[in-house]
Amino acid sequence: MFQSRLLAPLRALDRSSRTSLPSAFRTITTTTTTRINTTTLRTPSSLLTTTLTKPTLPQTSFPNIQIRHASHATQGTANRHSRDPAGKRLGAKRTAGEYVVPGCIIFRQRGTKWFPGENCAMGRDHTIYAAQAGYVRYYLDPERHSERKYIGVVFEKDGKLPVPRNAPSRRKLGRVKVRFEVEGEEGVKGGKGDLVAKVGEEGTVVGSVGKVEIQQSEELQLRPGYMYREANWVIGRAAEKAGITAKVYNRKNRWLAWRKRTAKAERAAQMKSLKSKKKGAKKAKK
Amino acid sequence: MAHCERASKPLLQCLQKTYTKALPGLQLQSTRAFQSTALAREEAQAEAKSVPFHKAPDPALVTSPQLERRLLRQGIAPIGSRRRRAALQNASNIPFEQLPYQCFQEARKVLVADREEKLRDITAMSEKIARLQAVPTEEAGGEQVKKSKLRAMELHLEHLKILADINDPLVKKKFEDGQGDLSKPIYRYLADRKWREYRRKILVQRITQMKVIPDVLPHCDPTVDTKLYFNRNQIQPGEFVNAQVSTTAPKLDVQLFEGGEKLVTIAVVDSDVPNVEKDGFDFKMHYLAVNVPISATATKVDLSQLSTDSQVVLPWLPPVAQKGSPYHRLSLFILEQKDSKPLDFAAVKAKETERDNLLPRTLQARYHLKAIGAHLFRSQWDETTYEVMKQIGFPEADMELRRKRVEPLPYKRRNPSTFR
Repeated sequence: MFQSRLLAPLRALDRSSRTSLPSAFRTITTTTTTRINTTTLRTPSSLLTTTLTKPTLPQTSFPNIQIRHASHATQGTANRHSRDPAGKRLGAKRTAGEYVVPGCIIFRQRGTKWFPGENCAMGRDHTIYAAQAGYVRYYLDPERHSERKYIGVVFEKDGKLPVPRNAPSRRKLGRVKVRFEVEGEEGVKGGKGDLVAKVGEEGTVVGSVGKVEIQQSEELQLRPGYMYREANWVIGRAAEKAGITAKVYNRKNRWLAWRKRTAKAERAAQMKSLKSKKKGAKKAKK
Repeated sequence: MAHCERASKPLLQCLQKTYTKALPGLQLQSTRAFQSTALAREEAQAEAKSVPFHKAPDPALVTSPQLERRLLRQGIAPIGSRRRRAALQNASNIPFEQLPYQCFQEARKVLVADREEKLRDITAMSEKIARLQAVPTEEAGGEQVKKSKLRAMELHLEHLKILADINDPLVKKKFEDGQGDLSKPIYRYLADRKWREYRRKILVQRITQMKVIPDVLPHCDPTVDTKLYFNRNQIQPGEFVNAQVSTTAPKLDVQLFEGGEKLVTIAVVDSDVPNVEKDGFDFKMHYLAVNVPISATATKVDLSQLSTDSQVVLPWLPPVAQKGSPYHRLSLFILEQKDSKPLDFAAVKAKETERDNLLPRTLQARYHLKAIGAHLFRSQWDETTYEVMKQIGFPEADMELRRKRVEPLPYKRRNPSTFR
């Protein structure tokens, strides 16, 4: 490749030399050809060019020569790595036997190469993640499906999967007992306490505001937006304070639904007519 | 309704004067009455002629909602759909066999001939069975051989009985009208087929998807249709039932599709009782009754009405789900007792006193039971649960279950030298 590229300008040089060089110089070249090994030279033209490289010809003597340097990239690259996207880091994130907690991603994949088995679930992009704390198992379950590969989580370190189809499923409760306040015990109705969050030293604590406190919180406070106003939850309770009650929505009340629908249609028609009037007025002005 | 009324109005008007005349034909068709009874009916008809339709509506022909309501108030349900009743009003009441269509009559001839052939087969088969029974055991080739032969022949006989009637249009009509007599094998066969087409599939899907089948019992192939009612409301398999509703014992409708009577054990078990100490779930038996007779015709079983001194081992305990606990599956199983022999009630009562952790698997093994029917409903915390808990004296009514925090995995610092 290199040779052919180099030869092209030299051929041109040769052509020019034939016309412009003195005859004495030509004789010298012919004598030199005899000494050169004939095996490397096959054609008479190539013979001529190679001989010309040997004597050092001053370039300045040929002002009309054009040489192309390799400063510009040639067209068409052989290996286009630029086309390959970045790797998506798919594959196993947890190996068999590793401890996982709920939500821990076990396998990332495109499509369902693996299916979620015991105590596992599949995410939106087919990611398999743990639904229970335990140890990861990769297994086949021919009784369930002949071809699918499953990922499961077992509770014991030496637990086995798959379990037989008639064995009761092993589950964990994962709950603790907490005493709770029974609603409706105190006979409080309508004026239920609200949940408010207080940021203290130990982090955010969610507490509840009793009915009395709701009544007391009349004075306005400086709130975000540099406004003295009530808290949002108090505003939300305005209707309750005013004693406004709304009818309970009844799906089967088709009479009310019809009235509402006709009112809506009428209003829409009215708005439309107003709009057209405005347009008409504009046109008249123009 | 309104459409069929409107379409049949002119006909209705002219028919309302004549419907009573048409009526005996209709009745003749359904009951195949003899001449003598028809005469008696004609007399009655002559009396009834003076009464207008709206005064004494006929449940087979009534179409207007007002008259239907009046009939319902009297306790008479209109027969069939309103569309059908409207169609019957202007139908000429020719008996089904005498419908004047040539092709129909030709087809009927083929069916009648086929039935004759099947009846001949039946008599031949029953004679053959009688002959084999008469043969002593040694000549028949041993106890086992004779038994298996007889069993196969009886099965074939049952099959022939069904084949004899399966193509009868009147049988089909009667079955579709819900007038099928389930003491006859053909109607039992049709009912079974109908049940297997949809309702059984739903049931099997629910009990397998909600994991009742491996959790409560290892295997169950339902062969009886079970319906469950709380306060006259039917509960579909797997439905959530309000705690207040399930305070009273449910009623069952257990439809057997085989002849004869069976003695069954009925068990209702909760397989999701939370156990915080164990961090798992326990079982609780909510109801247990033994020696309950069911047959194809006597299907109704009221769990609260069973006798306490010969059937009910553990009376109904209202199911409640603690606040925050996952939903409780209350599965009902109809367990066939071996050879339909009664269990010793006193012994069972003495043994099964503890409700907690009485597993259906244990019962099955202990008394040689086989699950032939199943049903399922669910319960969860709702607004009435607390009151029900107080009523039944539930120990931890004001305790709530909250999710336990799972310790996250420790943050593992990755080796930075491998980073780019």
